[in-house]
Amino acid sequence: MIDLLSFINPGLWIIIAGAICAFLPVGSLRKALVLAAPIFAAFMIYMIYPFGSEEIIAGKVNFGGIELTTLRIDKLSVVWGYLFCLAGVLNALYGLHEKCRMTDSSALIYTGAAVAGVMAGDLITLFIFWELTAISSVFLIWKGGKRAYAAGLRYLAIHVFSGVLLLAGAVMYADANGGDFAFNYIGLENPGGWLLLMAMGIKCGFPMLHMWMQDAYPKASITGTVILASFTTKFAIYALARGFPGTDILIWIGAVMTCFPVFFAVVENDLRRVLAYSLNNQLGFMVCGIGIGSTLALNGVVGQVFLHVIFKGLLFMSIGAVMYRTGTAKASELGGLFRSMPFTAVLCLIGAASIAAVPMFAAFVTKAMILAAAVEEHLYIPFLMMLFASAGVMEHSGIKVPHFTFFAHDSGRRVKEAPWNMLLAMTLAAGICIVLAFPWGGYQMLYALMPFGEAVEYHPYTVDHVVFQMQLLFAAIFAFTLLKRRGLYPAERRAEILDVDWIYRRVGVGIAKWISAMWAYVSILTKRLRNHAMQEAGRRLYQVFSPTGRLSETAPSGLPALMTAAMLVLILIIAYFVR
Amino acid sequence: MTMLDIFPNWLLAHGPAFLMALPLLLAAITAILPNEKIAWFSSFAVTLICTVTAFALALNNIQNGVSVYPLGGWDPPHGIALVIDALNAPILVLIAFMAVITIIYALPATIAEVEPKKRAPFYAAFLLCMAGLLGMVVTGDAFNVFVFLEVSSIATYTLVAMGASRDRRALRAAYNYLILGSIGATFFVIGIGFLYMETGTLNMAGMARILHDLEGGSRVAKVAFGFIIVGLGLKLAMFPLHMWLPGAYAYSPTPVTTFLSSTATKAALYLLLRFIFFVFDPDFEYVASVLTYVLVTLGVVGMLFASMQAIFQIDARRMLAFSSIAQVGYMLLGIGIATTASVAAGYLHLINHAIIKGGLFLALGAMWYRFGITRISDFKGMAKMMPWTMGAFTISGFSLIGVPFTAGFVSKYQLATAAAGAGWWWAVGVIVVTSILAIFYIGQALLLAYFQDPPKIEGRTVAKNEAPLAMLVPMWMLVFASIVIGMRGGVIVDASWRAAIFLLGGGQ
Amino acid sequence: MSNTPLNNNDEIDAIHPAAKPFLFLGKQSVKQNFMWVVLAGMMICVVLGFFFPQKHPLPIEAYIPGSWAVFGFLAYSFIVLCAPLIFKVLARDENYYEEGGLPDPDYSVEHHAEEERRS
Repeated sequence: MIDLLSFINPGLWIIIAGAICAFLPVGSLRKALVLAAPIFAAFMIYMIYPFGSEEIIAGKVNFGGIELTTLRIDKLSVVWGYLFCLAGVLNALYGLHEKCRMTDSSALIYTGAAVAGVMAGDLITLFIFWELTAISSVFLIWKGGKRAYAAGLRYLAIHVFSGVLLLAGAVMYADANGGDFAFNYIGLENPGGWLLLMAMGIKCGFPMLHMWMQDAYPKASITGTVILASFTTKFAIYALARGFPGTDILIWIGAVMTCFPVFFAVVENDLRRVLAYSLNNQLGFMVCGIGIGSTLALNGVVGQVFLHVIFKGLLFMSIGAVMYRTGTAKASELGGLFRSMPFTAVLCLIGAASIAAVPMFAAFVTKAMILAAAVEEHLYIPFLMMLFASAGVMEHSGIKVPHFTFFAHDSGRRVKEAPWNMLLAMTLAAGICIVLAFPWGGYQMLYALMPFGEAVEYHPYTVDHVVFQMQLLFAAIFAFTLLKRRGLYPAERRAEILDVDWIYRRVGVGIAKWISAMWAYVSILTKRLRNHAMQEAGRRLYQVFSPTGRLSETAPSGLPALMTAAMLVLILIIAYFVR
Repeated sequence: MTMLDIFPNWLLAHGPAFLMALPLLLAAITAILPNEKIAWFSSFAVTLICTVTAFALALNNIQNGVSVYPLGGWDPPHGIALVIDALNAPILVLIAFMAVITIIYALPATIAEVEPKKRAPFYAAFLLCMAGLLGMVVTGDAFNVFVFLEVSSIATYTLVAMGASRDRRALRAAYNYLILGSIGATFFVIGIGFLYMETGTLNMAGMARILHDLEGGSRVAKVAFGFIIVGLGLKLAMFPLHMWLPGAYAYSPTPVTTFLSSTATKAALYLLLRFIFFVFDPDFEYVASVLTYVLVTLGVVGMLFASMQAIFQIDARRMLAFSSIAQVGYMLLGIGIATTASVAAGYLHLINHAIIKGGLFLALGAMWYRFGITRISDFKGMAKMMPWTMGAFTISGFSLIGVPFTAGFVSKYQLATAAAGAGWWWAVGVIVVTSILAIFYIGQALLLAYFQDPPKIEGRTVAKNEAPLAMLVPMWMLVFASIVIGMRGGVIVDASWRAAIFLLGGGQ
Repeated sequence: MSNTPLNNNDEIDAIHPAAKPFLFLGKQSVKQNFMWVVLAGMMICVVLGFFFPQKHPLPIEAYIPGSWAVFGFLAYSFIVLCAPLIFKVLARDENYYEEGGLPDPDYSVEHHAEEERRS
């Protein structure tokens, strides 16, 4: 039985469950499916690929002369496979209260597409699931209500465009490699590689290509944002880790990517948007690690991705819970909520500690690997940029998010604690964050997952590392308290903060409006001229071709007879003289 | 057991003679039959038998190759031989099949379009015309071709004139046709005469052999070639010699128009192919230059001009008539490029166009039959008044334009690839442009039919009134054929390639 | 909104039972003096840094005592002090893109809160 099913990509089971959900009217059954499908997929992954086995390549399909490898599980992709299944379960728990067929079905298809995508063995299969993640997830954005509609469209357009780039790059790349579409190390030797990098860059938010994330995520529904934040970008990180490890340009792209969102996050009022910037910043660490490409760095990236999905999900969940109860996620409207949502506050603090890499919490054991790898490779400037960004992470995710939500001045809102299912999901996530960073037997489990090298020889809990990390964190908090006291910390103000999307949302729309206005103007000016020309042309044509026109004059039979003779002469002349 | 085994041997052996003799004989009998029903029935039987015979002969040709039937036991070159080869077998099937279609359709149509006492003679003339067409296709003797050409032509003049009970202009059209057709036939026979002078034989295979030995022959052969081309050009409505055609098509009774458009010009085109590629040879310098400079030029100019003229027509049948002239241009283009692929494409278009245009004319006739419609502007709301008829018109129209999955697409696509393959890229452009023009002239009728409401008479909307079954069945048979060729036209395409390979040898 | 802890009985009921022992966190004095705790922690870590130097320091790092603390303080201050400037350059009205800057009533009770505050 298992043998029979072992050539089927486990992600497909989740997609099928999603398709069933779309037609299942019973809410409780749907919820059961949403919970069970990722678990079943994880079980299938385990069945196909028991721990420590060789690379599995299966599910070969011949499609129009191209051999597709629909299933490839190795040490790298299996981590993402389990991770996405785990995230799927947590998200399902978190969204248990929401009775919405569209959310359930698109969440499952989206999750399944991401799982299937990371297990794609060739670029065409990758492309298919690449587009499927985009198309299935846009419904989660649209569930955010009317104001999310345009953002969803922009999201869809950008992601479909990314898919098109991916396909074009894949074709060019395969062309240069004798028609081999296999998805392995790609590199930038041929132009197809650049297109592929661009496609992945859009999906994982390279600087200047990142705007869709901050545009769409904060506008999605509460559960939608949590689900969205789990998969798309990490899928892209997987693709980068597979296709471009050790590509130098990624070091600098990643370093810039860690720094710039920090500045946006500090002024942003919408906390879900702050978290979107924070997400972008975290992705920067991963991209940079992929660029460094040493075993240490790549293992760090894998660990970082694993934990990141959990703690970033936890942060989005806690803000989502707040939004679910209060109706807003704007820092200016919140504050003092620890009085009414103490559990959520604690869980949020655990998430904040995890992302800020406080010792004993998640990111401490993985982010350090990337930083250490940068030092090892003597990449001091990227190292300093990432260190700067770590202080920034502390600012926006470690301090700003919990502070303005749960502490700060009391907004006077007295609401109920979050629903039990949300608390359960968050508790599980928080538990994972703590367990996987536990110095005695915890982080070793995480390190055992890491795919590169025989065994990971890195020890995060050395005294100097803990001490210096604490220096950084205490200094940041001290700076915060000091600036706050001096009144230098800017108050949260409601505003729309412009980002790169301004180019098309404002300038682009402006240009389009201008062109259409000019077009209307010119067309009015030239209307008479054009009408005259058209009429004249029509009249001329009519005069020649119509039944009363010159060509149709009813000639007596004599004329055609003459014409016949003329034809004969013509033919004879040609037959005689033309050589 | 192949399909061929169904047919008795004597049918295969004497089929060629059967094809021309049976309709000729029955025509004489039908003319004096007192009852139009019996006349119809005998004609129907004859056409059906001819179709089966032609089909059997075509199958036999595919399996056993060229067969020569010496008439009266006199062997060529002294006697007249009837030849069945890859070139004429499909044309024979086409003519006989179209005759069946037309005869079925004629049952209701003649009642509306022909005076009662002329109906039996109508069927007789029809059989005579068919006999002439089959004869000139089946015969292997050049003078015999002329004889049958005249037989069919004279019958056609009569048939066209019978439209007078519907529209008096039919008489003038018939007269015009008579004069020009006679000129054409005369030119043709003069050409045959010169050719006889040059070669000393009337058997076409013999002529071909001798001309080949003479390497094209003297000036006499060139003159003969010129006369034959012009004579046939007139018959097949080559562009500037087409003036008889719109009138003849527009005013004759519908069955006649259908039959003429799908067989008469096609038979003439067949003769053109036979003479250019079989009797003469495109390797002769004068043949090659006439092909390139005259046929292609006239074909292309005809495509463009006739399409433009079709757009501006008021009368729907005249529109289709001009479209026919344009389509002849496609075939001439295919012939003129003179590669195996292009001739195959031209030949394919010949067959497809017969089917497409037949369907269109039948649909138009049905509209006239029910609502007396002749003008394009009267198409308003036709989709609601006659949905099935309009459906047939629409699909055939799409096929004429060359929409994928229809017959027209298959042949236009083949022609375009053949032109591109020969390096004639500009010809591909012309094919595309004229297809776009076809969208205009077919489209204007479709727009009116589908997006306008039926007219109101005395405040009431005209009710739905579908054509009788005897009209719908043949109409939809053609539509169906058009779709089948479009979807999987392997058989027809193969036949066209066999014909082209027979004429030009292997090639691409 | 007052920053003082609530002592009204009605409002006490609105507070989650689990949060009641921690209400002191809202006290102004706690907030004020929290910074000294942090400062103390930082100082301890800096001192510890002398005894446990980094194994792989940057080339110049060895000469700066408490290097990560200094760096963290400067970086954090820089980010926050940049904020007003960034805000001035990039901030626009919430309805700048005319897509409805206000949240949807489906998900938000924000407008109710506004009304409550006004009344």
